Amino acid sequence: MSAVNTPLPEAVFDVRDLRLEIKGRCLLDVPSLTVWQGERVALIGPNGAGKSSLLKVLGGFAGASQGRVTVLGREVTGAGPNAMDAAQWRALHAEIGQVRQGLHLVSRLSALENVALGALARPGAIPLWRSWLRCYPESLLREARQALADLGLEDRMDMRADRLSGGQRQKVSLARLRLQRPKLLLADEPTSALDPAAALQACDALAALADDATLLTVVHDTELLPRLADRVIGLKEGRLVFDVPLQTLSPDLLKNLYETGDPADGCPCNPRTNLPLALPLRPRGFPASADRCTA
Amino acid sequence: MQPLATFGTRPGLPWARLGFFTLVLAYAVLVLACLLTLLAAGDLSWGRAPWQNLLKTVSEFAQPSFLDLWWGPERLEYRSDDGTLLRVENRQQVEAQFLAGLGRATWTTFQIATLGSLLAAVMALPLGLLAARNLNAPAWASRTASTLLDTLRAVHTLVFGLVLVGIVGLGPTAGILAISLHSTGTYGKLYAESLETLDMAAVDAVRATGASPSQVFFSAVWPSVLPQFVSNHLYVWEFNIRDSTILGLIGAGGLGLLISEAVSLFQWSRLATVILVVIALVMAFDALSRRIRKALL
Repeated sequence: MSAVNTPLPEAVFDVRDLRLEIKGRCLLDVPSLTVWQGERVALIGPNGAGKSSLLKVLGGFAGASQGRVTVLGREVTGAGPNAMDAAQWRALHAEIGQVRQGLHLVSRLSALENVALGALARPGAIPLWRSWLRCYPESLLREARQALADLGLEDRMDMRADRLSGGQRQKVSLARLRLQRPKLLLADEPTSALDPAAALQACDALAALADDATLLTVVHDTELLPRLADRVIGLKEGRLVFDVPLQTLSPDLLKNLYETGDPADGCPCNPRTNLPLALPLRPRGFPASADRCTA
Repeated sequence: MQPLATFGTRPGLPWARLGFFTLVLAYAVLVLACLLTLLAAGDLSWGRAPWQNLLKTVSEFAQPSFLDLWWGPERLEYRSDDGTLLRVENRQQVEAQFLAGLGRATWTTFQIATLGSLLAAVMALPLGLLAARNLNAPAWASRTASTLLDTLRAVHTLVFGLVLVGIVGLGPTAGILAISLHSTGTYGKLYAESLETLDMAAVDAVRATGASPSQVFFSAVWPSVLPQFVSNHLYVWEFNIRDSTILGLIGAGGLGLLISEAVSLFQWSRLATVILVVIALVMAFDALSRRIRKALL
């Protein structure tokens, strides 16, 4: 969408000959992958396909065994003299917004304060001594209040994070991202802890956040794809199976992606409920999934 | 309902049970060894007249000396065996003086406990931070800190007190230092444990925004552990109020001095008064600290 509008797209991240091995098992083997600024990309694939691992490598939370990964112009896989120092990592992390599977807020702080935490590393947003005392400037608090209000949490601002419901916590973490103003958003199953209605709201909020950023999401529920992506990448056993625009994503591609010789491995089930995923997988030529899940 | 697992139906389980059974057996052997060796040495006796002594003690404890303030004889006459009047004392007046001294001693005890606890809480802070396994302090520093904490905790307050009286002389200073040295070990361990229960995922989430280590500490670690630290502080403080009543025994001042006086003069009714004061002090503090802790957590 916005990739088309941008006159000279810039690579947000660029992966060359990436291999990630842990204990002799190959988790990732990606010869080449480039995502351009403003793109909205979804990573799909069966459990254990390496989606989360890829996200970790991009965020710098896991190293690579081989290859070169450049994120926002910085080579995160550099070793020895080329390795990034702590300050460079912090600068990179300030530009990457992360949404993780759990809903990780500081439980004893209020929703508002949790949102304000997003701006800690934003240059000039808050003087260091103020961040130590958690005495945030009024402008920052106004911004945080606005971010929460936009997500419908006006009346929950002063509630402690551990008293919020799962959906509210996820919204707070999204509001925190808004204050962080990242250039790249990495979301690892942002809706895994939410009920369907809350999942839709969270997706829309995430998509709204990604208006001036690049979004890479790990998606389990293929129903949510249209809200989160215009480019879909299929991963299976650490390898890229396809990389297509959303419009050309066909049921056959999905079927191939989720079909494996090992029934326990490839079943496109919701990992928590162990029920098969709904649309569009089952009706469009994936009838065997139900049998496999219960087997 | 499923049938209960029996031996052989689930591999692995019987062995786990056998291990626990062995542990229980070892414990039983240990207890029996303690008991039987004492019996064999003839050291497990109830004394000559336990019931009589018990009744006597109870009856004396039942008349704590402070009652004399109201009901004590105003002219208590001490006479020698042949009836000569040795001394007359006004029990009410004497008791009033004793109670005034008791009040001062109670305050001294409270001072020792309070200052000693605070000193320990401050000294233990860096050690606890180093010893917490999840904060990734350098291995040598972490090991040194936890060894130091274990050592301090292993030595009893009284032992520290005896040593310190020899160094800084009699008085509350020795008591304060003794309390603080032993409690540093306790605080450090409690701090480290509070830190280890920290939600590291939340800390990582703040770190992932690019915040600097000091910002991560003050924004995610500190607010999460502060209530527990305060709760720990109240707990150890209360413990130290109890502990410092004993410190007077070795000359570190406070209620312990009155206890040792009463015991050596067989003044059980005065001992009863002192013990009542200790109980009241500890209970009052406990009630207060429980309320504060409840409000905090």
